[in-house]
Amino acid sequence: MINELLLNFAEWLGSQPSSQNLIGSFYMWNWIESTHVLTLMVFLGMLFVIDLRMLGLTLTNVPATKVNDRLNIPMIIGFAIMITTGFILYYANPVHETQSIWFRFKVVLLVAAGINAWLFHRALKASSGSWDMDALAPKRLRIGAALSLGLWTLVIIMGRLMAYDWFDCDKPQGAFINWAVGCNIQ
Amino acid sequence: MELLTFFEWLESSMLGQAAKSYGGVYAMFQSAHLFSMALLGGTVLLTDLRLLGVLFRDVPSNVVADNAHKWFKVALAIILGTGVFMVAGVAIKCYHNSFFWYKMTALATGIAFVFAVKRPLLNQDHELLKPWILKSVAIASILVWFTVAATGRWIGFS
Repeated sequence: MINELLLNFAEWLGSQPSSQNLIGSFYMWNWIESTHVLTLMVFLGMLFVIDLRMLGLTLTNVPATKVNDRLNIPMIIGFAIMITTGFILYYANPVHETQSIWFRFKVVLLVAAGINAWLFHRALKASSGSWDMDALAPKRLRIGAALSLGLWTLVIIMGRLMAYDWFDCDKPQGAFINWAVGCNIQ
Repeated sequence: MELLTFFEWLESSMLGQAAKSYGGVYAMFQSAHLFSMALLGGTVLLTDLRLLGVLFRDVPSNVVADNAHKWFKVALAIILGTGVFMVAGVAIKCYHNSFFWYKMTALATGIAFVFAVKRPLLNQDHELLKPWILKSVAIASILVWFTVAATGRWIGFS
């Protein structure tokens, strides 16, 4: 049911002239893809510094909340461009991406990373500033930072694996994989 | 010609064969490459935006630059290690790819710039340096590392 809905939506998106123009345009697609990767460096670069500070691995002589507050703006700018270009890349090739197991894992991991970020910021706001100059943040924030590093590492891996066709619908594979990928929909 | 012989040898070496044969391992190396590029990008931007007075204006730039440089070195080591493996799998293709050479030139420039110009300069007390020198170094650094990343991305398109 969900696979059918997703595929119908993807087919409708893919039938739009601008979607077909985009996938057919060598330079436009490549520029958008390059922007996606380059802004991933800005977003993740800033995020890594915040996470490493919480884990006591960098800028330990700078208050942890200051590191978080100051790097939030460039991080959000990077994220906004990265997610926008990500949507455009999906729009350019919706059926293929919808039937990619790696893309599906990536979306689940992105949601998990988003929930983790929300919990992390909630915990950061709720915590008193007495630990701010400590090298290590409180345990709850350290767990959030470690989870953030782990989840985004997995997001990168899934994004990279999307280039591989191991589980594409034209490959002979079991019923479970076909269901997980959303193939064989009548 | 000699260089081509080296690239042919690299692709036929055990490393090249491993990179060709194990798609999953290759993908993990690509991911580690991308991960460390993000880390390197973060450390470069952190230092350079501080030198430009955009970030952490109330934190001494020596503190920011010294902390960032430690992780810059870690990221660079992973980038170089994973990069050699990635090139080994498609060495001959890389040899004939213009953007590969643009990237190698930009990367060599970036490394030389960091270790021969930027670090020796930033190891000094920044208060004693003229602001325009610090800002020029920051702009040059952002430009050179942006070029490395952009030309690297374009290798796959050409």
